[in-house]
Amino acid sequence: MKLKKCFKLSWNILIHSKLRSWLTIIGIIIGIAAVVSIVSISQGAQQQLEERLGSLGADILTISPGASRSFGPVSGFNGPLDRESSSSSSDEQENLTSKDILVLKNLDNIQYVMGQVSGKADMTYLSKTASVSVTGVDESVWKDVTSDEVDSGRFLVQSDSFSVVLGGKLVENTFENKIPLNSKITIEGKSFKVVGILTDGNGVYMPLDVARTVLEDVGNEEFSSISVKIENVEIANETVGLIEQKLMFSRGILNEKDMDFSVSNPAEMQATIQETTQTMSLFLGAIAAISLLVGAIGIANTMFTSVLEKTKEIGIMKAIGAKNKDVLFIFLFNSGLIGLVGGIGGVILGVFGSALIGYWSSTLSGSATRMFGNTALTPELLIGSLLFSILIGMIAGAIPAYRASKLNPVDALRYQ
Amino acid sequence: MNQPIIKIENVWKKYDMGSVEPLVVLKEINLEIKKGEFIAITGPSGSGKSTMVNIVGALDKPSWGAVYLNGENVSNMNESSLAFLRGKTIGFIFQQFNLLPTLTALENVMLPMEIIDQDENKSKDTAEKLLNKLGLGDRMHHKPNELSGGQQQRVAIARSLANNPDVVLADEPTGNLDSKTGKFIMDFLGQLNKEGKTIILITHDLELVKYGKRVVYIKDGRIEKEIHN
Repeated sequence: MKLKKCFKLSWNILIHSKLRSWLTIIGIIIGIAAVVSIVSISQGAQQQLEERLGSLGADILTISPGASRSFGPVSGFNGPLDRESSSSSSDEQENLTSKDILVLKNLDNIQYVMGQVSGKADMTYLSKTASVSVTGVDESVWKDVTSDEVDSGRFLVQSDSFSVVLGGKLVENTFENKIPLNSKITIEGKSFKVVGILTDGNGVYMPLDVARTVLEDVGNEEFSSISVKIENVEIANETVGLIEQKLMFSRGILNEKDMDFSVSNPAEMQATIQETTQTMSLFLGAIAAISLLVGAIGIANTMFTSVLEKTKEIGIMKAIGAKNKDVLFIFLFNSGLIGLVGGIGGVILGVFGSALIGYWSSTLSGSATRMFGNTALTPELLIGSLLFSILIGMIAGAIPAYRASKLNPVDALRYQ
Repeated sequence: MNQPIIKIENVWKKYDMGSVEPLVVLKEINLEIKKGEFIAITGPSGSGKSTMVNIVGALDKPSWGAVYLNGENVSNMNESSLAFLRGKTIGFIFQQFNLLPTLTALENVMLPMEIIDQDENKSKDTAEKLLNKLGLGDRMHHKPNELSGGQQQRVAIARSLANNPDVVLADEPTGNLDSKTGKFIMDFLGQLNKEGKTIILITHDLELVKYGKRVVYIKDGRIEKEIHN
């Protein structure tokens, strides 16, 4: 029999199949949907991570006040600026000062040092107001110490005073209207001109002195954080140690336990975050794999029952000339088709599912869930899931199909 | 002049029953069926008729002895080539009709041709002609459960003739039909025989036996007697 005819007959079996086959298909749909959404979510999280980590810059260390030295994946997601602003809100810690900057400037392997202040402020544009995070940067070294890039306009220069540079996402998303270059905005009652727009980010950047007048609770010689650009990334760990040692000395701290500042090491942070997401992907993947396995066992079960039910028809086909191979292919195609139909349904459901999870988590606050806001649905994932589903169907159906093909026509014909 | 189309030589068939003594169903069967014959095989129930159907129709291999189908020893053939030879040489008509329930009448008749890789259009053409010949021209696209018993059996006859086989093997073809439809079926088989087909009829019904030009009586697994009508 031609394979095309075998395929037609297996299609015929499928469309005339009973509720049981459709329940099996639903099992596969759920399994594949779980795989598609879980993989797309963890791929999306991975992508977002890489973007964030890339923008962090491996050669930039950040010194922040406060003793917290650990970086979980959660705090890491906010980027350096958010993190500092949130940690600086704690009362007991001492801010960094210009004395610290002086200490850092003379260390080996350090190219640039920039103190910055940051905090929340109200920004008004076209009579709409939003709370934004404002960062005061040292305009003389800012462009050397940041990994951000200018999309249009320019970085701040030393002659700037009431000028701001805005993050790309802020420009697009915060207000109803997109904020164009050179437009006027108001921050805490003061008027600013937009001189530059960055490719990414939600921040508002202005000269340090101006930021001190805009933000509350920032002393004149104090900084919310200090960014340091190092020359040689290879010895970043040593440099972190050196910074800690020198700052402890200058701040009069004797014991490491009493350290009232922390130095971030992007490389170390990257490793920690990646490890965490990998573990999570693995865990979610295992759940998806289990649901697929259950689906596959469902297919095998359905196929065994189907072969049993169709024993007489197999006998008839054999009596009128069908070979073992024909029967084998008919049932193999049938289980493959169950996999295919389940796969198509699963991919559709999975696409919806991941969109829903993406939407749902992006509306939630909290960086842990925001991490899932991006889902990555690649064609490879969709096609791969479909092929995988067909394969699972055929593997699960292989033994029942083989048994069907080996049925003795005499016994099969007599089967009631 | 007349080569036997089926030749059964000293065939025994036994079934192993596990720990119990094996069950010997056919003993020392010798039978030659020539082209163009109308042969009826009959006997009481339990005599081995059904096993004869399987052996004569090459559905089953004998435990001992040889069965030749068109001169080829069935015992020496592998499953695939036997299935192919069976599909081309023998058309089956069963008491239970045995149509595939999910296919239409037309598709059921086309199936034997498609199994041996005939062209689809040609198969369709042949199937339509056969169904018309059996008076089912307006029932072609009905599924078996939408047809009466007699109609189903006529579809089954059309299917048995699909590959224009030399032999039509009818196993109690009227067993599930009323006498009027039964008579139509038997007359049709007689007509086929006149057109040159070899007909093998297996029945326990002594009324039907008279259609056969040669009648073989089986009792307790042996050929008891042969009568030429």
